[in-house]
Amino acid sequence: MRALVIDDSRAMRRIVGSILEDFGYEVRPAGDGREALDVLEEGYLPDLACVDWNMPVMDGLQFVSAVRSNPAYRSVALMMVTTESETSQIVRALAAGAHEYMIKPFTADAMRDKLALLGLLPQEVSL
Amino acid sequence: MTLTATSFDWVRQLVHKESAIVLQPGKEYLVEARLLPMAQQRGLTGVSELVESVRNRPDAATTRRIVEALTTNETSWFRDGDPFTALTGTVLPSLVAGRRPEERLNIWSAACSSGQEPYTIAMLVSDALPDAARRVSITATDLSREMVERTRAGRFSQLEVNRGLPASMLVRHFTRAGNEWEISPTLRRMVTTTECNLAAPLPRMGPFDVVYLRNVLIYFDMATKQGILRRVRQLMRPDGWLFLGAAETTLGVDDNWERVVLGRGSAYRPRKGN
Amino acid sequence: MSDLLSSPAQQPITEMLDAATVQSIADDVWTSLVGDGEVLVPLPVPAPEVTVSAWVQITGRWCGAVVVTCDEATAVALTECLLRARPPAVIEQEDVDDALGELANVLGGNVKSLLPELSSLGLPQTGPIPPASRPEDLCRVDAQWRGQSLTITVQGATPAPHTERNEVPQ
Repeated sequence: MRALVIDDSRAMRRIVGSILEDFGYEVRPAGDGREALDVLEEGYLPDLACVDWNMPVMDGLQFVSAVRSNPAYRSVALMMVTTESETSQIVRALAAGAHEYMIKPFTADAMRDKLALLGLLPQEVSL
Repeated sequence: MTLTATSFDWVRQLVHKESAIVLQPGKEYLVEARLLPMAQQRGLTGVSELVESVRNRPDAATTRRIVEALTTNETSWFRDGDPFTALTGTVLPSLVAGRRPEERLNIWSAACSSGQEPYTIAMLVSDALPDAARRVSITATDLSREMVERTRAGRFSQLEVNRGLPASMLVRHFTRAGNEWEISPTLRRMVTTTECNLAAPLPRMGPFDVVYLRNVLIYFDMATKQGILRRVRQLMRPDGWLFLGAAETTLGVDDNWERVVLGRGSAYRPRKGN
Repeated sequence: MSDLLSSPAQQPITEMLDAATVQSIADDVWTSLVGDGEVLVPLPVPAPEVTVSAWVQITGRWCGAVVVTCDEATAVALTECLLRARPPAVIEQEDVDDALGELANVLGGNVKSLLPELSSLGLPQTGPIPPASRPEDLCRVDAQWRGQSLTITVQGATPAPHTERNEVPQ
């Protein structure tokens, strides 16, 4: 399983990345939406992208829209991982094409639950 | 730090036995932080006093709360998804087909904790049946008054709604109330709450078409397990469905149940002729 | 930038949230982000002389910032906690700024959700001197973490221009 972790905070990239690695993922970090699109364009196709919302250069919502408008990336599950927590914002992200939405702060258990919802929790992991 | 080495060791062994989770030495602070509220609630001065009281007078309910406090932060929505997949995939369609339209379907969440299970059921049935609010009644019970009150309030913290609740359901069925999320009034009206001790004679309720009795039996001895299963069966319709926790079974405990495989999980039905 | 900041008639923050709400947001952030069993104790201790701050700006019907302030050693300890699963060999200043900034960001986003809709959140900033605040538009939590002072403020923006005298810590 491969995941792209997109956040402008390196601490958050490490936190999300290490949780996913504990669930058996290979993780590629990216500091904003543009950088993440570059990773996709060079041919790295992850099973999952965890995307922050507020980032410089290209924000998470723009990234989600860009990915969903390209049929080549249809297999990538998109999960917003953000501190934006109003109902209207969650609705916007889902409408743009996000499959799931995690509100910061969150625990490793919450990440496991979300992966299970997306059908992306490797079977051998059951803590 | 009031936690003694003996108390810590007892808690470690308990948690390991019940959940297979290992609390490493050095996690004393965690035990202290998680159990102190429970100790204080019982008017005890510290966690060691709590442990001493349970060791001197074994008590399955308190033991269960201790394990829960140390093994989960928050109860998940759709916890162990299979019993919920089975509800919408098999159980509801078969009940709807077998009952007259004016007959109510009664579902019992028998250890409802802070309310995630009964409201998960409410969300699922309201998505599956157009007239769910009129047709389905959910009874949510718990031993703890605090848990019953939390369920009745139907309010959940940010951390709680992060635990396995699909985002699409969050925005459809909850509204923000300060920094918490509140279940919609329609769903809350489907759920009736009351205190109930499963290990004692049960109040007049039911008869139930579906019972969720998950992660309760594991904490009791054989005789109590048998008593609980007998009393639950008396409150069920003959063609009802019982869901237990993933690590629980009626096999070898009570022969009056028939195990039915549903998808990746299983349910239990009262055996005919009893 | 200053045009976006508050008009004098802005509804004070204390009419929209109280210190207990900010504390409960911080409680969730501490247990999940800083570490299981880590608590921000809501008892003030004397503030250190030299502090660092991280903040995010909120722009909308209410304009202001959410600011986290502590001393340098506490900021480093918080960074170590955040990065506990995969600690870098050496924690650099950039790591500390980033981690404290992310704490402010997560607190800020949750505070924003309690304000009138359509507010927006800026990117985190860090520095020795936080934006100036006004006592009449301020919600403040004076707390301690591991015995050291840590302050969270939700503060309305001051009318621009930003002047030198604002930079003297109060």
